[in-house]
Amino acid sequence: MRPTIKNKLVGGFTAVLFLMGVVAAIGVYSVLSLRTSALETARVGDRLNSISLEIQVHNLEAQRKIKSYLAEFKQLGADKARETYLDEAEFEIHEIVSLAKRGVRIAPTEEKRAKFQLISAAATSYASAVETVAQGVEKNAVGGATDIAAYEAAAGHLNETAEDGEMAGRDSSQSSQENIERVSKRSVPVVLGVSLLGLVIALVMSIVLSRAILLPVEHLKEVAENVSMGNLQISVRRFSDDEIGDLADSFARMVVAVRFFQMEAEASNAGTGE
Amino acid sequence: MSDVTDKVLAVSKPYLGPAAEQFLARQCKLFLKIDSAALTAAHLKELSGCFELGGRAIMDPAKATELAKKIATL
Repeated sequence: MRPTIKNKLVGGFTAVLFLMGVVAAIGVYSVLSLRTSALETARVGDRLNSISLEIQVHNLEAQRKIKSYLAEFKQLGADKARETYLDEAEFEIHEIVSLAKRGVRIAPTEEKRAKFQLISAAATSYASAVETVAQGVEKNAVGGATDIAAYEAAAGHLNETAEDGEMAGRDSSQSSQENIERVSKRSVPVVLGVSLLGLVIALVMSIVLSRAILLPVEHLKEVAENVSMGNLQISVRRFSDDEIGDLADSFARMVVAVRFFQMEAEASNAGTGE
Repeated sequence: MSDVTDKVLAVSKPYLGPAAEQFLARQCKLFLKIDSAALTAAHLKELSGCFELGGRAIMDPAKATELAKKIATL
């Protein structure tokens, strides 16, 4: 395709529009991906926080029911006490285990995953300690001192791990808020940078286009001024293979003809003079 | 006007514009001592040299050489 001014302008503006489109697409993509990432982090943080709180509630409820079981065993009888308190406590422990497993699945870091794994392990140990105590109580009407001590140790360990989990959940929620702030702060320079890049590209393209058109036109103007003032020795340059280049050729042809006619006229005058 | 004259004029016009006809007549008269209408293929080589020489006085030397070569190959 011949690089005519029309083609240059159409090509140039198409390129500018295309580049602006690319720049806009990059900007939109950056903002959307940052937003998605921030929302995902916030969602995980909030979920982990709520799981850790639920674990604490189930833990407290389980321990309250075991205490009631031990306190009211004699009064209610084995079956009724198991049905009223022990089964309920086992359900709470089961909930703790399943919540802790969910926490392990969604925890964003290895450290937090380890904390929820510890809760799950502590809840399992707690469940077997509860069962041992219950068997002792059902057999002898009072729990053995060793079993009770083991139970209390397991309960204490579960409390500790649940508290650690709660802290991890709170920390996760807090760090997700910090992450959102960080992400929103980061998105500002990204959008600004992309917009600035688009502006620079558009500016460079405008300069290149205007120079490609203005430079040859200015040269032709200078040539025309010289010829009109009688200076026929000026040379006409063809800057580009476009409409202005064709115009330069026509102008050069005209100057050649004028030079020739001028020489002819001078020769004729000289002949007449002789 | 001969066919050769027409061909030389057709080649010269883009270089000399409205002066082509008069320039050809001038070169034929001065150097070949003939009328431009009587131009034949046998004159072309000599005419090419005349065009280069005469052309250099009024146009860019490179253009004059280019025109001379075109006339020589007619």
